[in-house]
Amino acid sequence: MRKFFPVDSLARDSRFNQITMKQSQADPRSSLIAQEEKRPKTNRLQPSRPDASDAARSLMHGIFVGEIQALEGAGRTCHDFETGTEAPFALKLDMARQAWDEARHVEISVKLSEWMGTEIGQYAENTVLFEAACSTDPVLRLAGVNRALEGLAIDVFTTMKEFGDIAGDPFLEFCEDWMLADEVTHVKMGSDWLRRITENDPERRKKALEFQSVVDKIFSFGGTRSDSQESPIGLARRFRELAGFSDDEVEDIADVSLRALEERKAFARQAQAEAVEQFSAS
Amino acid sequence: MTVSVTPSTFSFVDFDADLIRRIGDGLVDALGIDRPVQVEVDETTPLGRVRTDIGDVITVHVESGAFEDSRKPRQQSEEATTANLGRALLRARDRITGGFGEAPADDELSLRQIAAWETYCVGRLARMGVPVNQQRWKYNFRNRHGFTDVADAAFERVWQSDGLTWGELETISLEGAATPS
Repeated sequence: MRKFFPVDSLARDSRFNQITMKQSQADPRSSLIAQEEKRPKTNRLQPSRPDASDAARSLMHGIFVGEIQALEGAGRTCHDFETGTEAPFALKLDMARQAWDEARHVEISVKLSEWMGTEIGQYAENTVLFEAACSTDPVLRLAGVNRALEGLAIDVFTTMKEFGDIAGDPFLEFCEDWMLADEVTHVKMGSDWLRRITENDPERRKKALEFQSVVDKIFSFGGTRSDSQESPIGLARRFRELAGFSDDEVEDIADVSLRALEERKAFARQAQAEAVEQFSAS
Repeated sequence: MTVSVTPSTFSFVDFDADLIRRIGDGLVDALGIDRPVQVEVDETTPLGRVRTDIGDVITVHVESGAFEDSRKPRQQSEEATTANLGRALLRARDRITGGFGEAPADDELSLRQIAAWETYCVGRLARMGVPVNQQRWKYNFRNRHGFTDVADAAFERVWQSDGLTWGELETISLEGAATPS
């Protein structure tokens, strides 16, 4: 069986349309800029937003495809590395348990999407999550998938759980709470294994944490997740603490997310100016 | 009645002004709109808000997300264009043809009132053959009226209705939002 599967070979049926992070970020339109000029400052996903239902449906579909990719990532880690020489058996057992959790999350997400009136594949699938799971070093994969990707999942589930709670949606709040508990466990597994495997290899640990920082910035999706009210998804500090992130690590993620937000806004302004210039010239 | 679209060519998104105009023509005929319609698309934002000004001309201000294919960013969706332009024109027709005189101005409608009116519009579009996902609109209605059997019953009444006045629509909506004892 093939090892180290590339992102463009993921199995999807015709309902799905995949896009890369590069394509997503190349869109010169930005709600962040529109927000500044036409809307109140907060963009946080809350029921009080006029577009709350559609925004929640879109995020729920993002969770659904994220769960598929997390399942694929954890499953690949079980298979891609030799037991003992490249990855301890107990680590692979944890990844198998995680794959089981993610499969359950996929099923829950499908049912929640139906409940919210969304069809499978109704929104474009950004494949950036699986890209973080393609590293050939299991330690980097743990940093990218379990700490960065699953850390993002903690932030997303916390936001959705609060949304369901405020809206009075009994299923959304309940399901997100249970999935959130699993994600905290997944991050904790990643943190524990990262420390254990690199205990006597500070250089490898440093490299893994640097990789995680890069992935965290990418997973901020140009400011979709940050402490700022301009971001739809907040940083779930308390649950991140429970998952084993230190205060310094949480602060680092907060900083990198805010930088991603500002960079996205600057890019969008520049892209819009260029588009206007091209349009005028033509 | 004529339908015009601005801009005539797009640079931020891959939209077709002629397609928007053709869809608009079909809706204006089907709905019996009695005056010209001007569709103004703001392609600088991916958001999907639609706002309408009614005068001698009906001007529909559309953010590009309302006409976009959510599967393929920046591409136009004929289905979304029909449904969202149709909703805006139905609301305009409600205001023009009477029975909605006491309805608040668009920017003074509460989120509950907007959800009820949207449900009323989309239910009628569905009966005209426009493809819509009823569950999506039920979820929106529940978010604004509560996740209760009473709210669901109100949704069904609004969805199935034709020829409501604002007062009748508001009464059903208020009953649906009441907390069950």
